[in-house]
Amino acid sequence: MMSNANNATDKSTTVLDMGRILVMAEQIGAFFAPYPPLRAAEGVRNHLRTYWDPRMREALLAHIDTGVNGLATHVVAGAQLLREPVSVQKKGYYGPPQA
Amino acid sequence: MPIPRKPDNSVITTCSYCGVGCGFKAETLDGKVVRMIPWKEGKANHGHSCVKGRFAFDYYNHPDRVLTPMIRSSIDLPWQKVSWEEAFAYAASEMRRIQAKYGQKSIGAVSSSRCTNEEIFLVQKLARAVFGNNNIDNCARICHSPTQFGLSATVGAGAASQHFDSILQADVIMVVGANPTGGHPVFGSLMKRRIREGARLIVIDPRQTDIVDSPHCHADIHLAIRPGTNVLVLNSISHVIVRERLYDEDFVRARCEWPEFEAWMALVSDERYAPEIAGPQAGVDPETIRQAARLYANGPRSAIYYGLGVTEHSQGSTGVMCLGNLALSCGMLGREGVGVNPLRGQANVQGGSCLGSWPHVFSGYRFVTDSDVRSSFEAEWNVTLDAEPGLRLPNMFDAALTNQFKGMYIMGEDPVQSDPNQNHTIAAMKQMECVILQDLVLNETSRYAHVFLPGSSSMEKDGTFTGAERRVSRVRKVVEPLAGLQDWEVVVRLMNAMGYPAQYAHAGEVLDEIARLTPAYSGLSFALLDRVGSAQWPVDQNAPEGTEVLHTKTFPRANGLGTFMLTGYVPTAERVTEQFPLLLTTGRILSQYNVGAQTRRTANSQWHQQDVLEISADDAVIRGIRDGDWVNINSRFGATRLSAKISARVNPGVVYTTFHHPESHVNALTSDRSDWATNCPEYKVTAVDVLRLTTENAMPSEAELEVTV
Repeated sequence: MMSNANNATDKSTTVLDMGRILVMAEQIGAFFAPYPPLRAAEGVRNHLRTYWDPRMREALLAHIDTGVNGLATHVVAGAQLLREPVSVQKKGYYGPPQA
Repeated sequence: MPIPRKPDNSVITTCSYCGVGCGFKAETLDGKVVRMIPWKEGKANHGHSCVKGRFAFDYYNHPDRVLTPMIRSSIDLPWQKVSWEEAFAYAASEMRRIQAKYGQKSIGAVSSSRCTNEEIFLVQKLARAVFGNNNIDNCARICHSPTQFGLSATVGAGAASQHFDSILQADVIMVVGANPTGGHPVFGSLMKRRIREGARLIVIDPRQTDIVDSPHCHADIHLAIRPGTNVLVLNSISHVIVRERLYDEDFVRARCEWPEFEAWMALVSDERYAPEIAGPQAGVDPETIRQAARLYANGPRSAIYYGLGVTEHSQGSTGVMCLGNLALSCGMLGREGVGVNPLRGQANVQGGSCLGSWPHVFSGYRFVTDSDVRSSFEAEWNVTLDAEPGLRLPNMFDAALTNQFKGMYIMGEDPVQSDPNQNHTIAAMKQMECVILQDLVLNETSRYAHVFLPGSSSMEKDGTFTGAERRVSRVRKVVEPLAGLQDWEVVVRLMNAMGYPAQYAHAGEVLDEIARLTPAYSGLSFALLDRVGSAQWPVDQNAPEGTEVLHTKTFPRANGLGTFMLTGYVPTAERVTEQFPLLLTTGRILSQYNVGAQTRRTANSQWHQQDVLEISADDAVIRGIRDGDWVNINSRFGATRLSAKISARVNPGVVYTTFHHPESHVNALTSDRSDWATNCPEYKVTAVDVLRLTTENAMPSEAELEVTV
């Protein structure tokens, strides 16, 4: 616990502990894994877009940009879809991935 | 014994315990509540009641009630009693100071499902319109958030499809991860009545609950699964339904998205979900899975009732989707006697879910990212609103630990006792600079609070609750608020102190605002409820007095069709090992309620003075544990002590306890694992070991139980 608290004074720290963000991203990826690749990525995108605080999304994308991420392909693809221009993005929705 | 005097006044109101929402006549004498009489006209209870609602009302007048606001600049200092004005001014200036120093998103709010719809709506308005962010959550996060997610995904509405009385037409009842006779007793009695009339009963639960075997009530099938295998077993039931073609093809073709159904069939018919493969993993007989599938699918009217045993898992949302898929595939929706129905633990979990007390949706489950919806709120509230989702309750604590979340307004919650991984929660609380707690009594969380605002019990305020069957009922003020203000007035005063000019003459005006902004609540008003007693949402132009059964013609999705989600089984990361060989799961009993803040302050405690650990004889014998021994329980996250009770209700490998008493520290054990979609904590699966205490020391001292960080 103390290490977390000490990190807190570091301005560059992510909004949540990065390990926690990655666990959450992996869990979301595991759910969408049974879908075909395009739909799986879209499922991840829709979930991150509608449920995650933007600072968590940015932290995930920054982590992916480092190149070494250990995340499933469709999680990386889904996160990167968040970078599409707002005009291209779908509205948030419930239910199966629409791709 | 003196002859009791007759009450001099009687007010019809709604019980504030579980999500059944029983109507009561609260009777007073000389301005004090003296008895609660179940109301015959109450549509949820028809004149019935349980031992909590009927007798456990004295808490409202308990000496522990704190009736004066208090502040302190540091949690190391003693509380200082102040006036309401001073408390609001201090709280407002602290929250604004924190925002100026750490940013607009550095504060947030949490509301309680024990509070009224009006209060819950106002707390989210406080966060969105006054804090200027979407850091708003509700304690439904830690119980039924997967219900909203999983049912919205499949049937389009995150709520029970039926009214309670619908069960009287059910031929088959399937109870999954719920204990209706203990947790929702009045509905549990209705269920038992239908079982006595001949309905068949399937129970999926690791523990032998009372509904499995009690007088005049016996389950035809009990799948005593290992905790954490819900999705595996429900997929296996689906496997049988698909392989044996037990599904209702006409219903699916007419009412559902057929391509998604085909994709779902391909998933669940995979060999890995065959009962012969899944059964042994889940610790149940494959043939019993087949029987359950056939019984459910053949109905002809089969109804599912489920509880936190489905939701409080790392695959909680997936489990709820499994139930939606199952009901759709067999055509068990859209008529009497069928459906998928969450049993809600607290009086207003459904209302808490409906009314925008979530960081990602406004009332009516509409995304904050949707500009059309957002602009309707901006017009009504006259502010610009944050277009991005905020932090969820567990993420607020996580962000506190990175020093990016510093202030929290908590209405009617005790996260230190009720939230998982207690050491983590306490460390987060200690990082915050202003915690405003509004409650009836000082609780575990108040140790870490800077402002205490006295709350009002449901006897002391006006508003509405939305019960588990979507029934909106009036909560009426029976006695004057002991501390002078109703809870909703406190929120308004805090808004005002922070510079936002909200004004309401009475709680009914808040409901009017809810109705203007929320389609399913659009027809609701105090006037309607006074006239018809109660009404189930949607209450709108098409259904001016409410709707008993949902999905009769279409599903509330864009194309009107129900749909299927692919629910692959992903085992939880919480595994048994040599060091932690047992799985701990938790639950509740009839006479106590949740963390016990209310019921422990009544004579109901005579029935349940302490939480005990139920352990199978097999597991007890090899550990040298006798009935009544004190035992140490260790998990990867913490430790606590309980008294052991050797029980045939749990299988070997599984231990069980309740969490009604703070000194039990059950949540020192629970993990930081949570549902993939909603972060609902995985309370129901914790790997532990249990060891008998070798010394004669019976009760551990308070100092020993002090949680260290």
